[in-house]
Amino acid sequence: MQYFIQPFHKKSLCQNEIFSPHIFHKYYNTIMKLEEKLQILTDSAKYDVSCSSSGSTRGESYGSLGATHASGICHSFSADGRCISLLKILFTNHCIYDCAYCINRSSNDRQRAAFTPREVADLTLNFYKRNYIEGLFLSSGIVSSEDHTMELIAKSLEILRFEHGFNGYIHVKLIPGASDDLIRRVTKLADRVSSNIELPTQKSLALLAPEKSREKLFAPLELVRNDALEQSKHPIGMSTQLIIGATPESDYEILRLSSALYNKSLLKRVYYSAYIPTVSHTLLPALHTPPPLLREHRLYQADWLMRFYHFSYDEILSPQYDTLDERFDPKLAWALRNLHCFPVEINRADKETLLRVPGFGMRTVIKILRARRARSLGENDLKAMKISLKRARFFITIQGKRVKQTTLKYEYLQNQLLALEKPKAGTQPSLFDRFQSFTGEL
Amino acid sequence: MTWLCDGSLEGFLCALYESFRLRRLPERLTRDRSTIDLFEEVYDIHTDDETAAKMMAHLRVQLAPDTLRRILHTTLCDDAAYERELLLYTRLALRDDKALHDLSQPVVFAIEGYEKRLMRVVHRMYGFVRFEMLEDSSLYARIAPPCNVLPLIGRHFAKRMEGERFIIHDTSRNLILVWDTVNLAVHPILEASAPILHAEEQRYRGLWKSFFESVAIEERKNYKAQRNFVPLLYREYMSEFA
Ligand code: SF4
Repeated sequence: MQYFIQPFHKKSLCQNEIFSPHIFHKYYNTIMKLEEKLQILTDSAKYDVSCSSSGSTRGESYGSLGATHASGICHSFSADGRCISLLKILFTNHCIYDCAYCINRSSNDRQRAAFTPREVADLTLNFYKRNYIEGLFLSSGIVSSEDHTMELIAKSLEILRFEHGFNGYIHVKLIPGASDDLIRRVTKLADRVSSNIELPTQKSLALLAPEKSREKLFAPLELVRNDALEQSKHPIGMSTQLIIGATPESDYEILRLSSALYNKSLLKRVYYSAYIPTVSHTLLPALHTPPPLLREHRLYQADWLMRFYHFSYDEILSPQYDTLDERFDPKLAWALRNLHCFPVEINRADKETLLRVPGFGMRTVIKILRARRARSLGENDLKAMKISLKRARFFITIQGKRVKQTTLKYEYLQNQLLALEKPKAGTQPSLFDRFQSFTGEL
Repeated sequence: MTWLCDGSLEGFLCALYESFRLRRLPERLTRDRSTIDLFEEVYDIHTDDETAAKMMAHLRVQLAPDTLRRILHTTLCDDAAYERELLLYTRLALRDDKALHDLSQPVVFAIEGYEKRLMRVVHRMYGFVRFEMLEDSSLYARIAPPCNVLPLIGRHFAKRMEGERFIIHDTSRNLILVWDTVNLAVHPILEASAPILHAEEQRYRGLWKSFFESVAIEERKNYKAQRNFVPLLYREYMSEFA
């Protein structure tokens, strides 16, 4: 055993700043039990999807409890198969606004609850110590005013960071419309902040959330980015969420927006959330309309291609061709429309080109690049490395030769590939099978 | 001939030493006596700590740190019959470490596969370990992972809970990992008595369970995915699945 344990030395603890909280409980319902609050405020927060805990680069240390992990850790998986990484809760689901698509809108008849900052801190710390979570994801409805709400969130963070020296991951949803000072105060203490744009166009916003505007929603994101640029610091990671399927925007419009947000280095991540009707409204899909999960999945795949595979949004879609193909993943769909780029020779093609071969993911490409340094690779070598050619075989040559007889004809390929997508006889096709490529192996 | 070793890292190092001393390779190298049939010719490798230490020192000098690490890691995959492959791999590494790049060599592929799988289990355990707070406010977790990852997960938890004392107990291997806020160590144990929980423990477990249940979205229910991500064998000590 002694070979495995590397010495681990404790670093000296820094002096904690002492913070004395004086909390004003206006909405604090003393009668409701903590457990009930937790249920209500988890239930209200769960539709927010942006919850990965990876990629924190915070340098500061607040004390001796907690650390962030570069690649993100899932602590459990809920019954819907989603990763549980953070204590994802709303501070309160009271809200003074009435956005049509939102379950917490003021006109919706719903049980309301609010935490106190101390309760939020206490839950976070105790869950963290038991290794239930990586940290906290705190969002909120707007109670009394934007500033008041942001203040309560800031208090929660200050208790965690200063009183308890908590170093774990914290993601906060900024409240659009709160004062610059408050936004700065929260941003300083968080690992990631975000602000939901919710709907892809100004027009949809005006229709469904008249109190919100593009400018108002972007304002906190821009403030945080500009601050970071001014101090030439590494900007804190920001993300946003777009609701898919509540309004009529096309996939092309959505990807164009995401691409613009990435390019302006405003955001690190855009999350797509298939709209689940929770309220009835004449302008929205009827209750019990199934959420467009496959469309959401295709958008994530396309987004992945933009962020890691150097595709631009207008390669993936165009104004004439504005909807992602439901039958094929976006990379395959792109390849089928660009057959002139193929076949590629696996022993010579560069990394970028290999990455564009349908069926080759990042891991496969790295394997190929590494192995071909030793010698030229044949089909059996690929087999020995367990590289699947199921899809790729139509698009590559190996040592100058095609794998099996195939031709690069659109109709032919389409039929061949569709046959591959067909579920095996006897097995119930489930969304999960499609989700297997969720990690980016397209 | 079949060689039999005891399954420890030291035992493996001694088998490696024997293969050099005798200038030959076993047809089979195993730690599992039950797989040996009546008429098989068996060479029982005696585990000698001194020989093992010498061999280890030799490997340390001869091999790149990554290669050595991979060899050590493979010996933790105690649910796989890795011994002969690892022997061949180590000899290959000593002879020509460029060959280790060639993933189309079956031993290279196999050993990298073992390590990858081990690291996947390590990463899973980072998330799936569940601590309980004991009477004295120290933390205690039980695990039963498919391979012996206990020695590899300590640093991670020590880093994030620097100020807390904790014990992680691998109940299927009878090993404990102890962090006393200064030192990290793994010890074998004979048995453990039932822990006495902190008065608040049930309450937080209940809160966690209600969070876990509230966070799932009814319209997206997908137990198949859930089972794929948290296979049943990990759930024994995860209170939310109880
Ligand atoms: S402001 Fe936010 S919480 Fe309030 S109704 Fe609109 S979307 Fe919902």
